[in-house]
Amino acid sequence: MADTNKSKAPSTLPFSFVPQEPETAVENNPHAKATTQVADVVEALKASFGDAVHEVVVYAGEHTVRVDRTRIVEVCTFLKTEQGFNYLADAGGLDRFTEDDRYEVFYNLVNITDMKRIRISLRVDEDGMSVPTVTDVYPAANWNERECFDMFGISFDGHPDLRRMFMPEDFEYYPLRKEFPLLGVPGSLPLPPQVPTGELTGDPFPAAHGHKPPKSFQEVKSEEENG
Amino acid sequence: MSSISQTDFSETLKFWPRHNEALYRRLETKHSWLEDVPGDGSPADPLEHQMVLNIGPQHPATHGVLRCVVKLDGERIERCVLDIGYLHRGVEKIAENKTYQEFMPYTDRMDYLSPYSNNVAWCLAVEKLAGIEVPDRAQWIRMMMSELARISAHLLWMGVGLMDAGAVSVFLWSFQFREDLYTIFDEVAGARLTVSHSRIGGVATDLNDTGIALIADFAERFPEAIAGWEKLLNRNRIWIDRNLGIGYMSAEDVVARGLTGPNLRGSGVAHDIRRFEPYLKYEEVDFQIPIRTEGDALARYFIRMDEMKESVKIIKQCLEALKTVKGAVRTDDAKRSYPSKDEVYYSMEGLIHDFMYTDTGVTPPKGASVYHAIEAPKGELGFYLQSDGTGSPWRAKMNSPSFSNLQGLETLLEGAQMGDMVILIGTVDPVLGEADK
Amino acid sequence: MTTRVDAVVNWARSNSLMPMPMGLACCAIEMMAFAAPKYDVARFGSEAMRFSPRQADLMIVAGWVSYKMAHTIRRVWDQMADPKWCIAMGACASSGGMHRCYGVVQGCDNFLPVDVYIPGCPPRPEAVIHALMDIQEKIRNEYSVAQDGEFGKEVRKITPARPTIVTPTGEDAISPSGLYTQ
Repeated sequence: MADTNKSKAPSTLPFSFVPQEPETAVENNPHAKATTQVADVVEALKASFGDAVHEVVVYAGEHTVRVDRTRIVEVCTFLKTEQGFNYLADAGGLDRFTEDDRYEVFYNLVNITDMKRIRISLRVDEDGMSVPTVTDVYPAANWNERECFDMFGISFDGHPDLRRMFMPEDFEYYPLRKEFPLLGVPGSLPLPPQVPTGELTGDPFPAAHGHKPPKSFQEVKSEEENG
Repeated sequence: MSSISQTDFSETLKFWPRHNEALYRRLETKHSWLEDVPGDGSPADPLEHQMVLNIGPQHPATHGVLRCVVKLDGERIERCVLDIGYLHRGVEKIAENKTYQEFMPYTDRMDYLSPYSNNVAWCLAVEKLAGIEVPDRAQWIRMMMSELARISAHLLWMGVGLMDAGAVSVFLWSFQFREDLYTIFDEVAGARLTVSHSRIGGVATDLNDTGIALIADFAERFPEAIAGWEKLLNRNRIWIDRNLGIGYMSAEDVVARGLTGPNLRGSGVAHDIRRFEPYLKYEEVDFQIPIRTEGDALARYFIRMDEMKESVKIIKQCLEALKTVKGAVRTDDAKRSYPSKDEVYYSMEGLIHDFMYTDTGVTPPKGASVYHAIEAPKGELGFYLQSDGTGSPWRAKMNSPSFSNLQGLETLLEGAQMGDMVILIGTVDPVLGEADK
Repeated sequence: MTTRVDAVVNWARSNSLMPMPMGLACCAIEMMAFAAPKYDVARFGSEAMRFSPRQADLMIVAGWVSYKMAHTIRRVWDQMADPKWCIAMGACASSGGMHRCYGVVQGCDNFLPVDVYIPGCPPRPEAVIHALMDIQEKIRNEYSVAQDGEFGKEVRKITPARPTIVTPTGEDAISPSGLYTQ
């Protein structure tokens, strides 16, 4: 039994999971939707912007158009005013973890009346971590861009209120970058004090290290307190 | 004239001084839509009528840990800054470390009022990414349970919204029916709240007779209950006074601000993912999508009540369909979905497939990325997945409706009266678990 | 004399616990269900869910605690008047639960003195009722009125009113208070 397995090549073993290349993926995706068939919009984009459109990827019937980072506002204005994509469904960032053009920012735009959906993306290099904001075109991008800033550190030029979205301002890291550990950096977020008048707790696992906070009637009165 | 005397919090606050500084600075520099000077023209002392109030993350309104820092001019909210992130877990980062199937329980905890919807949304997104087809019976089951989850979420909205407005008995009535729904979920999925019944490629188990009987019974009793509540509330002077004209947003405004769900439809924008991008079997059932043009809180109230009634219709049609549509509840392909428990227990291959599926799971093509949205009770819940060829996603971005809706809440609160704040939060209906990811 | 006062006061305190629901996430929904008609908590005297810490004596931390929220919770806890007890409801409040990541405090006992932990995700309302009854027992058996004025003084050991539990072999006696304290 064992030698027959050894003589087989890895790709022919019944339980190997070889990552498939996109070309060999399922041709007719059962979940592809009619709204994402926007080839005409892509053609119009290419016609208007020429070489600012770097790449068009089609997968599962969806079009992802990669444009030049500096021209995103023009692209969005074109899509909103001339193609009718007036609704921003989602915007966010992505860490490709490559040497060049490490980050990607994507925008999911929707044309409600004509029932169309398109995705625009752009790439950001680690050396120039800034993207022009699209909040003048789509006010809905306000919080989404803040979230992208919070999670990746990509700043958006012209954003009215570029603060962190989820993490407190005191936090110094960008969590969704691939090098940030899942458990976080110990001490980057202090815990409350163990007694009301104490110092903030730096250790994230005091209970595991045997320091459980005392009940209030067990607290020792400090000398500085009066009465 | 600044009414905030200090923006340096390092003395008074031991924790997050920079965060609060930034927050209060934003409040101060924000453009105010109200006049600073009161009506009689004379410049009055701001301390007499202006106040900065922190409606902190812990407060009696039961919508979750939302912090609103408001600048009040008398009773009117002049400016407001919303601070979220008090429930942030980093679920998107967790997703990068789990397989697609392992991640299912995390989706339950996002919009925890309708966990089945989130499960279905995740499954559909992964199925689109990997190109997995789902058998018909599973689609009908998923649709029915998603509509039950919609009723559950709207019931909680109704109970909690009315309780916050003062009518505590509605909370008890809505929870009575939610308990019935929980019994149904318990019977069908094994858990009351965090179900995780959907599996990639189908659902975990088929419905048994008790489950079907419970659902049929619920669908019979529920419309009567809604009729009773509507009789009480629809022409109720107090309820109408509290909601009429409150929280008005025009159609252009809601689209520009990115609101979603009943907030869009309350202002006349005809956008519902069930008709925009039909998924599961929504094209084969007959139901209406309630849309109103008034754009105020009362319109959204009517929409959610009507949506509950439409959900009952859909559930009845699903029950009919399930009588005839038989078959497997998951696809048969071992690389795409779990084998049935019979196979796992009684055949060697089934056991190995089960193990491999848990260990590695679905492996979509490398570099593929998709976005799939569903109409969750709160709005458009979508997952943007990018695969790296392994069993866990490279990037899983969650487009949660409450996040988009809360952006609009900031605008709604400005210019509103303090007493309407609870109604406004209720009408936008945020769930902080999904807004904070 | 003290023990009879203790008995009466503790009986009153345990049967009129006013929970302060620190309802953060999904466990809050089960906590609402625990107050709802089917698993009525009003029959235990805890109907008055007071959201103001000044008026409550039992804080139920329901849901995962993020680092940002932890300071708020501690502040609210400090604002509660003695005697006060804390229930960590659910896996996330007890130990971080399934959220083993940068944003979630791995258990609220890292900054709060927790009396009862409830496992579950979310725990069924019956489990929360069980925890409430545990707190009631703890109050009845382990708290003394004499402790009310004890802040800042050395802790006096309270002998529980229950008899000590003896193991089946009859050798070691386990004190029930040993089960709760560290």
